[in-house]
Amino acid sequence: MAIAGKRRYTGGLVDVAAGQISREIFVSDEIYAEELERVFTRAWLFVGHESQIPKPGDYFVSGMGEESVILCRDREDRVHVFLNSCRHRGMKVCRYDEGNTPVFTCPYHGWSYATDGKLVGVPYFREAYHSKLDRSQFGLVEVAQLEIYKGTVWATWDPSAPSFLEYLGEFRRYLDLALDAWDGREGGTEVLGGVQKWLIPCNWKFPAENFSGDSYHNISHRSVDLVGIGPSGSGRRDMRERLIGRRLQICFPDRGHQTGAYVLPNEEPTPPAYQHSPVVSEYFRRCEEQRRERLGAWGRVTGAPGELFPNTALHPRQPRSIAVWHPRGAHRTEVWRWYLVDADAPPEVKDFLRQYYIRYSGPAGLTEQDDMENWNYAHAASRGTIARRHPYSYEQGLGFEVENYEWEGLRIPGTVMDVTDSKSSEHNLRNFYRRWAQFMDANSWDELATWRRRP
Amino acid sequence: MINVRTLEPGTRVALTDGSTVEIVSNPKDGIWVFARYLSSPRDTSLVGTEEMVFAQDMVEIQTTP
Repeated sequence: MAIAGKRRYTGGLVDVAAGQISREIFVSDEIYAEELERVFTRAWLFVGHESQIPKPGDYFVSGMGEESVILCRDREDRVHVFLNSCRHRGMKVCRYDEGNTPVFTCPYHGWSYATDGKLVGVPYFREAYHSKLDRSQFGLVEVAQLEIYKGTVWATWDPSAPSFLEYLGEFRRYLDLALDAWDGREGGTEVLGGVQKWLIPCNWKFPAENFSGDSYHNISHRSVDLVGIGPSGSGRRDMRERLIGRRLQICFPDRGHQTGAYVLPNEEPTPPAYQHSPVVSEYFRRCEEQRRERLGAWGRVTGAPGELFPNTALHPRQPRSIAVWHPRGAHRTEVWRWYLVDADAPPEVKDFLRQYYIRYSGPAGLTEQDDMENWNYAHAASRGTIARRHPYSYEQGLGFEVENYEWEGLRIPGTVMDVTDSKSSEHNLRNFYRRWAQFMDANSWDELATWRRRP
Repeated sequence: MINVRTLEPGTRVALTDGSTVEIVSNPKDGIWVFARYLSSPRDTSLVGTEEMVFAQDMVEIQTTP
């Protein structure tokens, strides 16, 4: 069945054509329960990074929707993602954030699982179960599909979901902007330090929307720009490419992914950055030069914030990071942010970036605090009976998007809105909610994989 | 009562069924250890095999390494 016309969400609560979206989808507990089932059990979700579990027995406890999951490497070096819940009575079998272990043992009744998920220890197996329990049927629940892409680990509970690469489609090239080394070599990034985790009193779609491409809210960050927390002491970031290139918002309507990007002119080098440290500045100058040589015309594209549907945010340039918006009820979001660096960058570069990253992002980061304040109060002020009657406006740039966008000989994949002159657009935001509505309305991946039906 | 978390490899422990095992490794979860059977009046075929042994089945430390 094609996804078209007015359904409960598509054309109803989420009226993308009119640029209006009901507040109910942010504040309704009933809709929240529905999206856990229809979005979070079917989509591909970010779980962690391989560099967090380098050795057999290493594990990292992550989340998929509201579910706690264990990302681990078994004794045979295979990577798994398991539901962190004992098959006997549901207790968490791992209550640490990360570590190394030969087994995950439930502290409630003592059932114990190997790192490949097999149930290996059942107290009183001979005596109480009379050796009758079929232990092979009670291993840890494992995700239906898992993909390791350039070090990042992704998983879905849905066996009928397309492969991760098919799920990405052409958005893969923009994900690569965050995962490839700064000089354009494939992969080569690692997680810097630990994962920052904190709670925000708002619906998870507020930050997801923001990272989809809301540049309209830049006024909120004016104080940070004035303070000058950027790596050269001016603004928030050193992104002077915005002064010489085209500023784009790019989305993929059939996938629900979207991002910002800058395209530099043919003959212009990437402007200098990180001048507060000569070593760091020289490192990035050399990387940018090599990147142009290695990638050719595509090396003119630099990344900006984006969102891989549904709840993974990409920040590919400054500060380079991945965030997951874990839903914790309709009115609360738990943010987890991973910071990425080139694995082979000199220690001085890593240390400089670590300090810049925490100055910018995370619960104490100046820029992220601005955002959290907005989401917090927007959510709270949208919960009332009167407030719910009035939809939000998403009309910016409606009808001005372009297919097959090209600039100075470089075609840009995706549906593009050039906001160099218009300053802002809600094009990418509409794309996020269009896809969200499709997930909420569709009964299966047969309906969601619309690209498979093209002639 | 034995504090299972402190048992080092090589420690010999008596079990409730009269068996004796030697600790091979300890995941230190306080519930299980990996151990080799040295004797088992219940099932002599267990001798020499390695199994996970439950904390509640361990009654006495016989020797330590």
